[in-house]
Amino acid sequence: MKIKANYKKYVIPVIAILVLVLLIALPYFAERSDSRYTIVLFKTILMFTILTLSWALFSGPTGYTSLATAAFYGVGLYTAGVLGRVLPLPVMVLCGGLASFLLAVIIGGITLRLRGIYFAIFTLSSVELIKHVLHWYEITIAGGRGRPVVRVPDTTVFYVLLGILVLLIITSYLLKRSKYGLALSSIGSCEEAAAHIGVNVVTLKVFTFALSSFFMGLAGAIMATGMVYIDCFIAFDLNYSFFPTLMAIFGGMGNIVGPIIGAVVFTYLREILITEFPYVYMFIFGTVMILTIIYLPNGLIGLAESIRRKLLGGKHADTTCRRVN
Amino acid sequence: MKKSWLLLFLIAFLSIALVVGCAQGDKEGEKAGPDDEKPAADKDKIVVGAARSISGPLAIQDETCFGPVYRMWFDEVNARGGIYVEEYGKKLPVEPLIYDDTSDMNTMLNLLNKLMVEDKVDLLLAPISTAFLKAAAQVTNDQGYLLIGAEGGAKELEPLMAEMPYFFSLLNYATQQVQPLVDMLAENNVKNAAIIYIEDQHGLEYKNDLVPALQAAGIEIVFDKAIPMGIKDVTSILEEAKSKNVQALLCCAYPDENFLVMGQCMEVDYNPDVILFGPGACLEIFVSDIFGPAAEGVMGWGAWNEKSSPELADLAKRLTEHQKGVRNIDWWGQAIYYSGLQVLEQAIEKAGTLDNAVLKDVIAGATKDDPFKTVVGDLWFENGGVPAECYPGQVGQWQSGIFEVVAPSDKATADPIIPKPAWPAPNQ
Repeated sequence: MKIKANYKKYVIPVIAILVLVLLIALPYFAERSDSRYTIVLFKTILMFTILTLSWALFSGPTGYTSLATAAFYGVGLYTAGVLGRVLPLPVMVLCGGLASFLLAVIIGGITLRLRGIYFAIFTLSSVELIKHVLHWYEITIAGGRGRPVVRVPDTTVFYVLLGILVLLIITSYLLKRSKYGLALSSIGSCEEAAAHIGVNVVTLKVFTFALSSFFMGLAGAIMATGMVYIDCFIAFDLNYSFFPTLMAIFGGMGNIVGPIIGAVVFTYLREILITEFPYVYMFIFGTVMILTIIYLPNGLIGLAESIRRKLLGGKHADTTCRRVN
Repeated sequence: MKKSWLLLFLIAFLSIALVVGCAQGDKEGEKAGPDDEKPAADKDKIVVGAARSISGPLAIQDETCFGPVYRMWFDEVNARGGIYVEEYGKKLPVEPLIYDDTSDMNTMLNLLNKLMVEDKVDLLLAPISTAFLKAAAQVTNDQGYLLIGAEGGAKELEPLMAEMPYFFSLLNYATQQVQPLVDMLAENNVKNAAIIYIEDQHGLEYKNDLVPALQAAGIEIVFDKAIPMGIKDVTSILEEAKSKNVQALLCCAYPDENFLVMGQCMEVDYNPDVILFGPGACLEIFVSDIFGPAAEGVMGWGAWNEKSSPELADLAKRLTEHQKGVRNIDWWGQAIYYSGLQVLEQAIEKAGTLDNAVLKDVIAGATKDDPFKTVVGDLWFENGGVPAECYPGQVGQWQSGIFEVVAPSDKATADPIIPKPAWPAPNQ
């Protein structure tokens, strides 16, 4: 038993460190093997992993389905458009995160008293609201749509995204293990009961919502530097709200690994389908998503867990928490 | 049991995706590129790549604008045996490598990178929309890839045309179109006009050019009003135009809004002497599928038709045949898009190489005295853009089912009908 406990204790950190080392070395080998597109592909994978894990940081434990990811990501993109020429890269990226954090405090302060479908619709509307206000400003006040963005080499963008992801994983891990993580889970289980036992639910929800948005803003700010040009329709694309949600569902939201696996597989799958089957990829993609949602309610992680149980011959009881209506 | 099968299906699908992905990586070395160092004898095709919006909101443009043109061009070139490339001493067929950018900027740029860096395509075709073109031009220019524009044209591209030697803009826009329109209105004694423009770069550029041009021609501007994208009701604006007897209604918007304005003009029975729309009015489906006889007399930017020249008549015939008899023609852009592909083809034959740096110089080196011979006639570039005189027309008007060129007068295929006919009765 002790060996098994030690195995569990060390295997995940060892795998994580191994993956991190491989990722750090990736640009070196990609450049040497003339496969620079690998860096571009991994940039997108890292970006979606950050958005998905950030989304899951708040929506996972609390059960609040936020569709405002595109708003926070877009604010990050626009921050790069506005400040990219006047600030050094790290400061500009940090400003992107802070701008999203502040926006999330405002949106969260207004909306986190709402629940369920009302919260989801309000967050979705906030993306459209910001997009159109910005569009109105650019056309009627600034006199032109869109902004150029200072370009940064793909390798730099890759490393910054990797740094953000590592920071996000550490934050998610620490939050999950802290009393605040427990309080967030209690909000997800029964918000009234959480408030009754002394959890300051509104403050905690707003802070966690803003914290998750901070990472989305960071990702947006650095990704903008690879886009050359942005406008509000590019920045506030609703796909950036839907994809992270789908990726988290696809991977499984029960722990930190699920959203990461979901984002990586989902993005890679999308890439393969777009490039190999461009005329039918939406059909195949949609079919896989429908099957996943219907038959894999716990995502890929749930699938892996059920396979593991089958291999172990049913020696372990199914401890997966299921809501009974 | 069923559940197990579906799980197996999912696992199998993901495994196949992984294998396909790995195989894709293995294929890398097989593809040719502009800096390809394979022996001449090994080169057996010209790979032409593009990140196009096959899905998403921009997909309609691939279906109706450049898409039918480049697909026909690939077939036609291959039917001729390919393009002769002197450096390889033979004709090489063209092979398309088209990816779907899902109408997403980041995906489009990633796929362009893939085409240039991993697939090492020989040539690139342009993505859809001015915004995408703006971003793509900078990325391809940095990588030394030639990019000739397609669906997308605006003043905002002018700095890029001047600064980026690998980028050539193809489509005409406000700079070339507004003055011929205003001249035609003045010649036909139009005294006043109202402008409805979309709250976007496109609408803003046309409005900003129309206002001084109309004023200079002595045409009173009754009002200029912005409408947001996705607007569903413009009757109050149209009622105002009707009450003020506006003679010329100039609507500088996108197809959805243009079609809305057109429909609501009929609803409120407002029939100005001149009604002009931006993108959308130039499409054959504007008459065949959407407005039918109501399109008579409606103007739009463009323009070319079968009467413009025998070459353009033949192009329209070939485009229709290639789409199995469906006349899905864009009477603004398709002729000029095809001429862009002809420029590419002729540049390769002239340069005798697929080296994009040489091709860029050959294209930039064409002049009025030594132009490319294309379906629209002589064509060359000045500061990265096509001079106004190369276009087959700037303004078109639907007359008996033909999008007649009505401006400028030296390219006109018919006289403008001003005032336009009344709207047909509702049951027609």
